[in-house]
Amino acid sequence: MSSEFAIPLLQQSFIEFGVTLTASVTVATGALYYLRRVRMERPPIGTFNGRDIVIVMVLIITLPFLYAVMPSWLITCFLVATFAASLSIGYRQVVGSGPVWLGIGVLVGANIWESHTMMGSVAGWQLWWAELDVLVLLGAIAVANLYVQGGMRLQHVAWFGLALAVYDLAASLGINVTAVLVEKFIGAPLDPTFGMRFNVNNYGIGIGDLLFYALFVTASYKAFGWAAARLAFVVMLVFGAAAPALAPLAFTLIDFRNDILIPSQVFFAPAAFLCYLWMKRRYGRERTMAEFWASADSGAIQAPVPQPEPAPEPASA
Amino acid sequence: MFETGIRQLRMAVSMVSGRRLNTGNLGRLVDDALVTIAEFGEPGADAQQLLGGPIDDPEERLEFARRGLRRTARRLEAHSPFYARRLAATDTTTSELDITGLQAIPVTTKRDLIERPGDFRCADVAVHLTTRTTGTTGTPAEIWLSRYEMELWSALGALAGVIRDELRPNDIMQVNMSSRATAATHLAAASCRLARTGCRLLGVVSPDEALDSLCSGGSTILSTYPSYLAELVTAARRRGLGPGDFELRRVTVGGEVLSPSLARAACQALGVPQIDDIFSMTEVIPVSGRICSQAHLHYDLSTGLVELLDLETGEPAAPGALATVVITPYFPYRDCMPVFRYDTRDVVRCLAGETLSCEMANTPAASQILGKADSLLRLGPADVITPRQLTDAIEALPTEPWPARYRAAVHGGRIRLTLPAAAISDYGETAARQHFAEAGLDVDLAIVSDDQAESLRHTRSDLREPAFARPQAPLVGAGHVE
Repeated sequence: MSSEFAIPLLQQSFIEFGVTLTASVTVATGALYYLRRVRMERPPIGTFNGRDIVIVMVLIITLPFLYAVMPSWLITCFLVATFAASLSIGYRQVVGSGPVWLGIGVLVGANIWESHTMMGSVAGWQLWWAELDVLVLLGAIAVANLYVQGGMRLQHVAWFGLALAVYDLAASLGINVTAVLVEKFIGAPLDPTFGMRFNVNNYGIGIGDLLFYALFVTASYKAFGWAAARLAFVVMLVFGAAAPALAPLAFTLIDFRNDILIPSQVFFAPAAFLCYLWMKRRYGRERTMAEFWASADSGAIQAPVPQPEPAPEPASA
Repeated sequence: MFETGIRQLRMAVSMVSGRRLNTGNLGRLVDDALVTIAEFGEPGADAQQLLGGPIDDPEERLEFARRGLRRTARRLEAHSPFYARRLAATDTTTSELDITGLQAIPVTTKRDLIERPGDFRCADVAVHLTTRTTGTTGTPAEIWLSRYEMELWSALGALAGVIRDELRPNDIMQVNMSSRATAATHLAAASCRLARTGCRLLGVVSPDEALDSLCSGGSTILSTYPSYLAELVTAARRRGLGPGDFELRRVTVGGEVLSPSLARAACQALGVPQIDDIFSMTEVIPVSGRICSQAHLHYDLSTGLVELLDLETGEPAAPGALATVVITPYFPYRDCMPVFRYDTRDVVRCLAGETLSCEMANTPAASQILGKADSLLRLGPADVITPRQLTDAIEALPTEPWPARYRAAVHGGRIRLTLPAAAISDYGETAARQHFAEAGLDVDLAIVSDDQAESLRHTRSDLREPAFARPQAPLVGAGHVE
């Protein structure tokens, strides 16, 4: 099988492993650091629950089909709005409103500019990837924390993963929508992928996969502490980074464009779910966010609590 | 989280547009708030904005009031026979009504409500429940309420209570208010139901019975009148009960003057950090107010307009002047038997223009309620004695005569204050007169026997509800009965 590629499959697989390892380790440690250090603003009332998972899944299933039919400029607009929203929510309170919008403008603007001007050489591609990787990692770290600090529990993450695995399998190997999207996005502005180019090949992992890895590790830490986070980290390295990257050595995963597309969640989500079941049995009830903040595990600065003011209440005659 | 966002948006849209709020949606928001607090321990930032206030910018506040007034007047013009006549008689164009134009519309009095109750009922709303004022300050007025109003107020009350950590699912609220105060008791029960708080509606039973219930029933919140609180404190002291005998974390009172002496004693006896003194009134439900740490009364302006009018001229009162509180609850917070510019005859003193620095500084304020306008004692053009001054001074007597029973009148330019003998027993008339002088009250004392005490001044604790069967002896602290 390796004779079909300009670069041997073994080499490709290990390069892909290097890319996914870098991405997953960075996103998970970044998300954990953020969780420990930053307490995000949240709406007056509202907690992430099971119905939110359904809503997110519906969006995940619907969006690729919309992307497939939307013109490129509209997709770019949509991605600009998505990245800008996630980055501003995640980092406004870290660096301030002005700097965060300046940073978003520079990163997004540079990526759009590079997409149109720098794709003629490997070095150009690599610069484009490097700059995009920063955007993707920052976005995944922010959204993972938005969900976990918004009340998403490890239980939700585990079930969410199983649903993603089914979708990933169908989208990659069944209806080929993932392949269509990869072809449409590669080299386009704000491709939601972490990756790098070596020689003639691009190697990458989708932002959705990275988001899920970050969710799993941070939710494990929030729920049960450091021991659970370490276990989740190992599961992520083995089943999220290594297994998908090295799977082409054992399975034929070549799509109609002669690309290798690996449905990562098919490997990771079942392992994550089993890991969750073990943690649940081992540690018992998950901690609430209030319990997490009160624990020594949280180094987050306590946000000021607004003092209540007069409001309608039952009358006394 | 997404669903909750949509519910909050629906609520906000209704509040801004002035349409009736969906009470089912509000009930689900209470559930969301409970789950949020269970997860995070507190609501998120800007929780108060969810309830519609406070509005910091005076211009914005004025515009909010203008919209609320016009919306309310339009509806009353169409559906309320009383106000259709009144607005027509004053040539009011409801679409152009503003705060200044309000002065042309006469205030509504309790007499209006008592004489023509049917004319206040809006034709487009089915009645559900009637409630009457307790009548301690005169003939009771009867107010009809719709099902929507009862569901709305309880949901808003529960939402506010949960967000402010005043109602928790593991709380039990003991309500010692008159069972005839049907709106108040129904709303307390309904709010507790929504907040999943236990609710014990006891009524104005004997203080010993209420104390037994507090001691052994696990009550964590007590809602009552100041006068009944006074009786509870007196009974608790008599029985030797102290903070360790109660599980209370919050005591709220309303409907009467709460003196600092009584509040301090209640905190010590019941083991709570403070007594929450809340302003509310049957006729102007759901507009309410609360006392801040600097003893200002801050009104909730999201559900109604509060005017402070000069007692003599009826014009907006000057800073530092005494004023009667006139309240207009906005539609859609009131819809069955609404009032417009209702003169509560509750007197406050306008703040003298100082900048507020209390924890509720972004909400306009006045002094605490000083008493009813008809109970003011005028010693001279600028020398007015308020019922609060008298109550505070009497309840500060070393004899601790709680609740204060007195009669006061002006005779020859001096206050003639009639007290029951127990109020000055072991203290003496001379010392008592000195005590009142130190409080700025130059009084002549008249002492009557203790059996006449209740006839001197009725309090809400007099609305006693006897039972056929009484406990043989107090269940708790019986060993300390003197």
